Amino acid sequence: MDILARAYLPRIAGLALASASFLAVTAAEAKEITIWCWDPNFNVAIMKEAGARYTKKHADVTFNVVDFAKTDVEQKLQTGLASGTADALPDIVLIEDYGAQKYLQSFPGAFAPLSGTVDYSGFAPYKVEVMTLDGQVYGMPFDSGVTGLYYRKDYLEQAGFKPEDMQNLTWDRFIEIGRQVETKTGKKMMGLDPNDAGLVRIMMQSAGQWYFDKEGKTNITGNAALKAALETVGKIMQADIYKAANGWSDWVGTFTSGDVATVMAGVWITGTVKAQPDQAGKWGVAPIPTLGIEGATHASNLGGSSWYVLESSAEKAEAIDFLNEIYAKDIDFYQKILQERGAVGSLLAARGGAAYEAADPFFGGEKVWQNFSDWLAKVPSVNYGVFTNEADLAVTAQLPALTQGMPVDEALKAIESEISGQIQ
Amino acid sequence: MNTSVTRNASAVFTYGFLGLMAFLSVFPFIWMVLGATNSSIDIIKGNLLPGEALATNVGNFFTLVNVPLVFWNSAKVTILATVLTLAVSSLAGYGFEMFRSRQRERVYRVMLLTLMIPFAALMIPLFIMMGKSGLINTHLAVVLPSIGSAFVIFYFRQSTKAFPSELRDAAKVDGLKEWQIFLFIYVPVMRSTYAAAFIIVFMTAWNNYLWPLIVLQSNETKTITLVISSLASAYYPDYGVVMVGTILATLPTLAVFFFMQRQFVQGMLGSVK
Repeated sequence: MDILARAYLPRIAGLALASASFLAVTAAEAKEITIWCWDPNFNVAIMKEAGARYTKKHADVTFNVVDFAKTDVEQKLQTGLASGTADALPDIVLIEDYGAQKYLQSFPGAFAPLSGTVDYSGFAPYKVEVMTLDGQVYGMPFDSGVTGLYYRKDYLEQAGFKPEDMQNLTWDRFIEIGRQVETKTGKKMMGLDPNDAGLVRIMMQSAGQWYFDKEGKTNITGNAALKAALETVGKIMQADIYKAANGWSDWVGTFTSGDVATVMAGVWITGTVKAQPDQAGKWGVAPIPTLGIEGATHASNLGGSSWYVLESSAEKAEAIDFLNEIYAKDIDFYQKILQERGAVGSLLAARGGAAYEAADPFFGGEKVWQNFSDWLAKVPSVNYGVFTNEADLAVTAQLPALTQGMPVDEALKAIESEISGQIQ
Repeated sequence: MNTSVTRNASAVFTYGFLGLMAFLSVFPFIWMVLGATNSSIDIIKGNLLPGEALATNVGNFFTLVNVPLVFWNSAKVTILATVLTLAVSSLAGYGFEMFRSRQRERVYRVMLLTLMIPFAALMIPLFIMMGKSGLINTHLAVVLPSIGSAFVIFYFRQSTKAFPSELRDAAKVDGLKEWQIFLFIYVPVMRSTYAAAFIIVFMTAWNNYLWPLIVLQSNETKTITLVISSLASAYYPDYGVVMVGTILATLPTLAVFFFMQRQFVQGMLGSVK
């Protein structure tokens, strides 16, 4: 035992030293941009493509795209920023739009402002609003969650509705159609997860409001859009035109299995809708219904994320130049990520490219990407604030009571008191 | 007659209950194996029959993940952590039981108190420590915090209570030094305790998630748990691939458990008879 230890100790020590010096060498190697993001088939693959394009022109800059789970990226970013250990952070990180203000406001000075470099007038205005704090814009807008109403043409036709009937809907009309679809075809109109406030968020933003006002103050009891949204969700539940889903996969299952006639979600759902080849030609896309109150539109957003450069990054200048050159200027890049990954970026000029202009046979030859691009420019800007996730939980908690006939004003009061309790 | 009816009824109840519990514990495994043979869509639909997508799923897993590297990383971290934890913590457990001093119980209690501090609270200070020592993104940073494990020390101390002090006395009379007693008498006598502790530490280290997640920063250092978590959190996770990954990640712990099952049970009952 003793002899063994004596023989191996120097070797182990040597190994440790060697690995330490190896680490030092990689750290000293300049101009490698490290990026954290979370979906190997989506933003990771897209960032690798973006990096390859940049390296082609700037051979001295290489990229290291690291993928973790989304919550893991958040946890790591939080730990890194809170501990002030700068060398533990990447150069560029992907942050979900709903959480952006939380990071910007909790860690002032941690992210590099890009206002001077990037021309933000080319992007969908609501995406830019998400990353603006005190007049400075901090991120590079990435994928959009512009919403659409995907519907099964075959089911609606059986119920006596043509694609024209699906345009310019109000929610009341949508529910009416839903009733008829169920009588004529036996199918439910939509899948709905009672523990997910996504639908409420879609409706609320379509009328230009959010849980928080432009100053970031809680906006619940006086929020006409939230009130109308909750009323509408209540009506959908009372009319029983939905198939209840338990969790995300189950919700996806409602339409992949052909059990429901419509899907309402961000444009990123397109890939999943199209994953059923046997449903080709049966789907159409229309703008989402409007709430019918003042300021209500047919455009909204669900989800989406953006890139941020860390102020502490050693490769800050290169990282900013990279984002600006690819994400703010390269129209061809946007065609490629649309074709290969189904990603709709936030750069409005991208619609001029070939992929955006192509008709999609899966949707019966409709030019769906042009439509989404139209709606993208019209999504109302709102302030997602710091506590969107907390507000979401408070809303979800009241949804069951709403279906059992609780007055909406009471629900709003309960939501407000729960939010103020949570964020104190 | 009457008694045999009651006996039969109670047997039916017992086996029914045990069968149900066994089913509940085994079902996730069955589902995992069946899931690996199905496409993601079929898994979401709830298909519980064997499918034909196994080869595709395995293929996709091996293209998406650098399997040898990831397993090497996990193995390295786990083996280092297990060997070091057993060495350090068993020594501490031995020391706590064998050496009498006035402060012993106080130190021991404070150590046990640390079991109550959730790891989330230790994470940021620990991270700063690792950052200052330049150990971020090294496997050493994953291993170091685990080797002085209060739980394993506790376990060894409890087991050491059954270690006959006569053995130690006899060894002393024969002229053995303390470290020799530990190495040549204690370790062989306590081998089933070591085996049980080995399984526990091995499993914890292999499945360890939060701390490696925080401290490991690059694709080259990631362990299997991090890779599976990242696969499963995609917007449209390919559940078939995730199932393949989970099966592969379960194999080492299963193997260790099956190989050491007998010693594990003995260790739990107490090493010294």
